Amino acid sequence: MKPKIIIGVISIVAFTSLLMYNFGNSISTYVNFEEAESRSVSHVIGTWDDSEAHGFSMETMQFSFYMIDQAGNSRRVVYSRPKPNNFEQATQLVVIGEMRNNVFHAHEMLMKCPSKYNENPEFELADS
Amino acid sequence: MIATIGHLFLSAAFLASIAAMILYAVASVKESKRAETVSNWLWGAKGFFLTISSAVLLYLIMTHQFQYYYVWNYTSLDLETKYLFSAFYGGQEGSFMLWILISFIVGLGLMKWTRKPYKAPVLFVMALTQFFLLSMVVGWDLGFTQIGASPFRTIADEMPNAPFIVANPDFVPADGTGLNDLLKSPWMMIHPPIIFLGFSMMTVPFAFAIASLWTKTYHEWIRPALPWTLAANLSLLTAIFLGGYWAYETLSFGGYWAWDPVENASLVPWLIGTAGIHAMIIQQKSSRAHKASLFFAILAYVSIIYQTFLTRSGILADQSVHSFVDLGLYGQLLAFIVAMVIMGIGFYLYRYKEIPSPKDESKFLSREFMTFTGSILLFILGFVIILGTSSPVIGKLFVSNPTPPEIQFYNDWSMPIAIIMALATVIGQSLFWQKHTWESLAGEMIYPLLLTSVATVLSIILGDVRSLYYMIYIFAAWFAVIGNGIILIQLLRKNPKLIGGALTHVGFGALLLGIIASSVYTEPLLDRQTADYNRRILAGEVFDEEGFPVTQRVEMFKLDINRPMLVNEKYMVTYEGFSLSDSPRPGQQNYLLKFEPIDDSAPFYMEPEVYPMLTSSTRDNIDWSVDPHVRTGLASDIYLYVAGSRYVERQNEELEARNSTGSSATNDSDPDSDLQTIEISMGETIEAGPFSFTFIDFIPASEEVVPENTQIGVRALLRVEHEPSGNAFEIEPLFAVYTENEQSYVYSPPLDIEQWEMSVLFTRIHPESDSIELSVYGLDEEFEEDWVLVVAEVKPFVSIVWLGTFLLMIGFSVSILRHWKREKDTKELR
Repeated sequence: MKPKIIIGVISIVAFTSLLMYNFGNSISTYVNFEEAESRSVSHVIGTWDDSEAHGFSMETMQFSFYMIDQAGNSRRVVYSRPKPNNFEQATQLVVIGEMRNNVFHAHEMLMKCPSKYNENPEFELADS
Repeated sequence: MIATIGHLFLSAAFLASIAAMILYAVASVKESKRAETVSNWLWGAKGFFLTISSAVLLYLIMTHQFQYYYVWNYTSLDLETKYLFSAFYGGQEGSFMLWILISFIVGLGLMKWTRKPYKAPVLFVMALTQFFLLSMVVGWDLGFTQIGASPFRTIADEMPNAPFIVANPDFVPADGTGLNDLLKSPWMMIHPPIIFLGFSMMTVPFAFAIASLWTKTYHEWIRPALPWTLAANLSLLTAIFLGGYWAYETLSFGGYWAWDPVENASLVPWLIGTAGIHAMIIQQKSSRAHKASLFFAILAYVSIIYQTFLTRSGILADQSVHSFVDLGLYGQLLAFIVAMVIMGIGFYLYRYKEIPSPKDESKFLSREFMTFTGSILLFILGFVIILGTSSPVIGKLFVSNPTPPEIQFYNDWSMPIAIIMALATVIGQSLFWQKHTWESLAGEMIYPLLLTSVATVLSIILGDVRSLYYMIYIFAAWFAVIGNGIILIQLLRKNPKLIGGALTHVGFGALLLGIIASSVYTEPLLDRQTADYNRRILAGEVFDEEGFPVTQRVEMFKLDINRPMLVNEKYMVTYEGFSLSDSPRPGQQNYLLKFEPIDDSAPFYMEPEVYPMLTSSTRDNIDWSVDPHVRTGLASDIYLYVAGSRYVERQNEELEARNSTGSSATNDSDPDSDLQTIEISMGETIEAGPFSFTFIDFIPASEEVVPENTQIGVRALLRVEHEPSGNAFEIEPLFAVYTENEQSYVYSPPLDIEQWEMSVLFTRIHPESDSIELSVYGLDEEFEEDWVLVVAEVKPFVSIVWLGTFLLMIGFSVSILRHWKREKDTKELR
């Protein structure tokens, strides 16, 4: 009985530590654009800055836009895929990639889903 | 008014569920038959109230009463009736109501089929979960706190401080915001009911486990609980399949699975439920694993509530592509999960010492041990996925503001677990039907191993597999298919009713094969130029304007209209244009791409669509959404969508121009602004923008096309070429001079070249220089021909993923019938 329990406990502990160690490595923390300068791969949360130009360039085959991070920095983001679906309606964007020369090169983008909830919805007036 | 009725009935249902819960508890403790009968009536009354309340909500939706927030937020006037119906469960509140309705029906089933002594305690647990679920939607304002969010609240209730409500409290919007276009799919209509059916039925093993702990009868509960658990799993599997299929057909990420928290939310209960099924089967066969089957039955439901909590409380808001709206139910959801954990796990630990455990250890080579191994592996996989999904909570142990784990985390862990599982299924199934020693087992395994080796080697050669890890995975998956397949054939000869288990395990193996083929060996379809460019990127030879090496490959290509392009050395692809249509979505473009395989097999068309997403588009900004086309094939699928087109670009440019000038349109202010005149002599070629005009010759005009009294009637034979594309048209515009009332008039009808939006008129002849004058409208110096940007992938053996899933479904169905029949027979014996 005893050695079995010991082996069991050891393997559970070993498995759990390995799992937690790997889990800890595979998650990262959200940063802003300035902090991203000194990192290799970063996750940045922000919102689309629609006052600046955005669009897909047929020459470079890249989608580019400006994003304001949570610290208020606005930076150009390039993404070498077509404009993602839901880009305009996303209330929040997460870009994953690296910062080079003040341009963020995203290799992945996540759109926070169209939250159906809207603080100030635009209503069209009803016909009376 | 009618909404008040709905609200009142919902409140009545809530009260009835409390009363039923209390009386079922009394019935269980005092074993009172009368209390049980009364609570059964209360249960029925609750269902009746709930049905009325749901009917009211449906009525409000169908009659477009947009003063109600739920109706306004999820529907619109133009929504088809079937989607109006499904909008009932399109939002958080309605989906809770659907869940409660379905578990009410499940409760009726339990009432009819459950034996003593489990009936009252089981229904008590069901009523308790109904109480919590109903509290999410009852919408009671107690002054100091709010209980639940009612689907019947008005816009004024929702946003009392909005200016238009302050100005006019009776404000009714003219139209609703509508249903998200992505969800307008028949798959999405049936997905929610099936998933809630799964959730509701998974409550049953939980309820039986609690009842068993309560009544201290640790063995008998398995028989009635097992068919329910199997059925719950079948439902969850079907729902997962529908969700995956929808994602594949509708979304642009190009796959059926993305380890998204909401997807995980249905996968984890399925895995733990399956672990529970394994444990229950051991308990039924060998009177072992009582502890495990209780534990997993409890855990499967707890994991449903936990994942519900994660996806509906707003915790995952940053992480999931489609988490629900935060309704401020955080506290209530937390209370729900805490109550379920205390009742389930707490009660389990309290009784732990009394639960029977086997006297002797099971041998390694026994069906008990192997089935139990399967159970543990499923549990471990579920645990890993829960851990990953919980990163916003558990990740705080590591970093302050945790991101979700990389996809790699899930793949890294699930692959080795899947390999061990696949190998274990064959040994487990062999031992399940026959006792073996090491020698006899080895003998039994010779043929499966031989066949597996052949299949693996063939797969490695044909699929050009280079990674050793993948080779092992493929071997394990083939072993599961072939080993279990042989057992399946043997069982079919003996007794076809027993094949459920073998069939699910074959399906599992097939699923593993399909997953690796369709995910790792997906290839983008690219033209030669882009493929070369990607090769140079891979070799590190491409640098961007700042001198950094480009690392992202280009996985799309551009097609100009009517110019065939060779793609992947396999297909000639031609973009043949698009048509505009208002059905089913206004403003959608249907693109037409012709694929001609160069090996002379039959050509086919791909018809991807692009449409403006109305729910999120505004007057100043159109949100274009893509609808991919998937061409399914036995060996491989072609997945394709249009990522950009000239039409979309032009629409955006026009919109931008309109936004910046503020006028409604830019180009109709001066109709002559785009007129250009060209003087050209015979044989000459003149260039204008990207076009060239060549005047070849005069040709006489026939009598019938010219007006009466014509003095001169002649045509000019012209060749107009779009130089970048090489496309050319020969046209013959007419020039005629006729007299009417002794006045001379020129007649030069316009000739349209539709494809270039241009019209050409032959307006004058200069006899002295032997040249003619052409007037050209719509000649755009920056004209470009129609084009599309295409993202396309070849995905091998997605069909096998579906095949594996179907085999699993059929296997579960066979087992349900078998165990249900056995349970019914037992009942009749009594």
